Amino acid sequence: MHGRFSRSMITVAFAAAALSAVLSVAITRTSGQTPAAPAARPARVGGKPNLSGIWQANNEANWDLQAHAALPAAVTQPGVYPYDYARVPAAPVLALGAAGAVPGSLGVVQGDGQIPYAAEALLTKKENAEHWIDRDPELKCYLPGIPRAMYMPYPFQITQSTDKIHMAYEFSNTARTIHLDKVAGPPDDTWMGHSVGHWDGDTLVVEVTNFNDRSWFDRAGDFHSDALHLVERFTLKSPDIIQYEVTIEDPKVFTRPWRIAMPLYRRVEPNMQLLEFRCNEFVEEFMYGGLRKKQLVKHWEGDTIAVDITRKVPAGDKFYEWYGGK
Amino acid sequence: MRDRFSRSTITVAIAAAAVIAGLSVPITRTSGQTPAASVKAAAPTSAAALQTSWGEPDLQGIWTDESDTPLQRSPKYANQEFFTEAQRTELDKERAALLGRDRRVERGTELDVAGAYNAQFMSVKHTGARTSLIVDPPNGRIPPLTPEAQKMAAADRQFRLALLQSTETCKNKSIACAGGKYDPTPSPRFAELPPRYNTARMNRRDNPEDGALPDRCLTGGLPEFGGATGSFRRIVQTPGGISMFYDVGQGQGWQRNIVMNGSPHLPAGIRQWYGDSRGHWEGNTLVIDVTNFSPKTDYQGSRENLHLLERWTRTGPNSLEYVVTIEDPTVWTRPWTVKQEFTRQSGDQNRIYYEPRCIEGNYASPGLMRGQRMAEAAFAHGQGPDPATSDNATDFVGVEDDPLQ
Repeated sequence: MHGRFSRSMITVAFAAAALSAVLSVAITRTSGQTPAAPAARPARVGGKPNLSGIWQANNEANWDLQAHAALPAAVTQPGVYPYDYARVPAAPVLALGAAGAVPGSLGVVQGDGQIPYAAEALLTKKENAEHWIDRDPELKCYLPGIPRAMYMPYPFQITQSTDKIHMAYEFSNTARTIHLDKVAGPPDDTWMGHSVGHWDGDTLVVEVTNFNDRSWFDRAGDFHSDALHLVERFTLKSPDIIQYEVTIEDPKVFTRPWRIAMPLYRRVEPNMQLLEFRCNEFVEEFMYGGLRKKQLVKHWEGDTIAVDITRKVPAGDKFYEWYGGK
Repeated sequence: MRDRFSRSTITVAIAAAAVIAGLSVPITRTSGQTPAASVKAAAPTSAAALQTSWGEPDLQGIWTDESDTPLQRSPKYANQEFFTEAQRTELDKERAALLGRDRRVERGTELDVAGAYNAQFMSVKHTGARTSLIVDPPNGRIPPLTPEAQKMAAADRQFRLALLQSTETCKNKSIACAGGKYDPTPSPRFAELPPRYNTARMNRRDNPEDGALPDRCLTGGLPEFGGATGSFRRIVQTPGGISMFYDVGQGQGWQRNIVMNGSPHLPAGIRQWYGDSRGHWEGNTLVIDVTNFSPKTDYQGSRENLHLLERWTRTGPNSLEYVVTIEDPTVWTRPWTVKQEFTRQSGDQNRIYYEPRCIEGNYASPGLMRGQRMAEAAFAHGQGPDPATSDNATDFVGVEDDPLQ
């Protein structure tokens, strides 16, 4: 038997063709307007390197800023051996197979690669990691904070003007404006910080302050307090690569300033645009599913989802059936 | 009992009130316009100062509508496009009086508890120059619904009324029960799904989806005219690119990045809460065509077929004209057009809230469900009233008394 995937691809392709037929009709309706020729992106704006465009990190920093080997899953449990390195995937992500695994990384923390936690803070970080599902604000679709928003696996868009630079992030529909001109501080502490920038030659330097203590740096439980103070540096290395560096200071959590660095890559696809990732809708079941009158998951116990994975492999999907068997 | 939406409106309203207090002489400025019913963009001011350093029209800054104009023209002003100065003075006086009042219904009733928030929590701005935001049709009213849309609206209303029928709201013949009638027996329709995907508040909390979109932190979208708490938009431009951030509701801000490269709309299968905005310049006017809305959105009954054609024109150092034609042949018998004047706000003070963090503080959405589950459990044990006889959906903030409406 031929793979079922190719078969459904065909259906999808047909559907897409049908849709684009409908779409072309829709376009003709508006085609009375004459769109101006697309403006080329100049290399400089107001004499400064033009960072405008859609960018995305292409690394594993959102999993863990520090160097780490690949892991079988984001949530693991002891396997048959009592060793840490022999743990196996645990129920919450088990059904995802390799898609639930964590890719390895050489890390983005500069210098010795260590995050200089104060002793007590290090305990909190470890505890955070153990309670990742309960504590990571990403899972609840809370705002990602800076710098995390810069290297999550979602694109973001820079719109660079002369006295403001706007950054719009796909994840959770959030944004920040970097003020290059005079501006009052924010009325409150924030997830995304208050960003004030200036140009140091051809490098954009942004000081970010007024954070709350709620965002994380990654899925490994790395955290900060409301004393977080960032200095970001954006340097255009080539038209499609920004070198991004952040100095991170937080005397309540770290014993000294430390630094992360990574390239950000332009999304060069000609039709690239930010789409929505309005995840607060996506997490309603995760956060409130236990409060439904008729639960969709049969095993909510109060606030606890007792994940009981029953995966019955349907006929035609057993692995040997994919390879010509019957 | 009330939802968190109205409750958290307080914070925003207070913030909005503070902003309004700081606003400068908004009324006189807009009233200088020539009363022309034209839907077309205003003649642009020819100052080079209104261009960016790279030569595009400059729409940048924080913009808001500093006055209150109802979306639709009240029948009271049927043949009048603009208020007279005397009318505006009088309306301002009447509306200022609304601010301080403490509206109550009969003490000890559910509705009285629901009315614990008075008009203090709404933003009341100076009365605008025009009698309606709608400039076309010329009567200033939303055009009639198509027969199908009328049927859908009626079915939706009937469903909502059924969930209220055994509550005090209907027993007391409250305006919230208009079109329905009291029946002490709870409706069997409590077990039904609404006629279509729910976007508004209903008297049931079986699921998160029973909440109104604002209660689920899913408001914000187009078209955006400000509403009861006002709204701000921050525009930043780069050569060939425009980004807008809307500060709306209570921490329900959202952003749009206008695609300016002349490419066609997204494939029809990609639907978004904020639609798909594609823009180009026509002279000094930014024209944005918006389609691809999600069927989960609802603007006055229009969902996935909503089509907006926006025209943004800088008309002066501190003024921006916004004209939007709203079209959905499945809902309205003809397109209609709204015009709004925005005033530039201080960039230094930067009174805009960028954080769409509504969900972080949304204790009431789960709280309402938990409350319902507890009331059901208690009732099953012979304690408390049948939850179906309580009204958890209706609130009165006081806008219904606004003489502008």
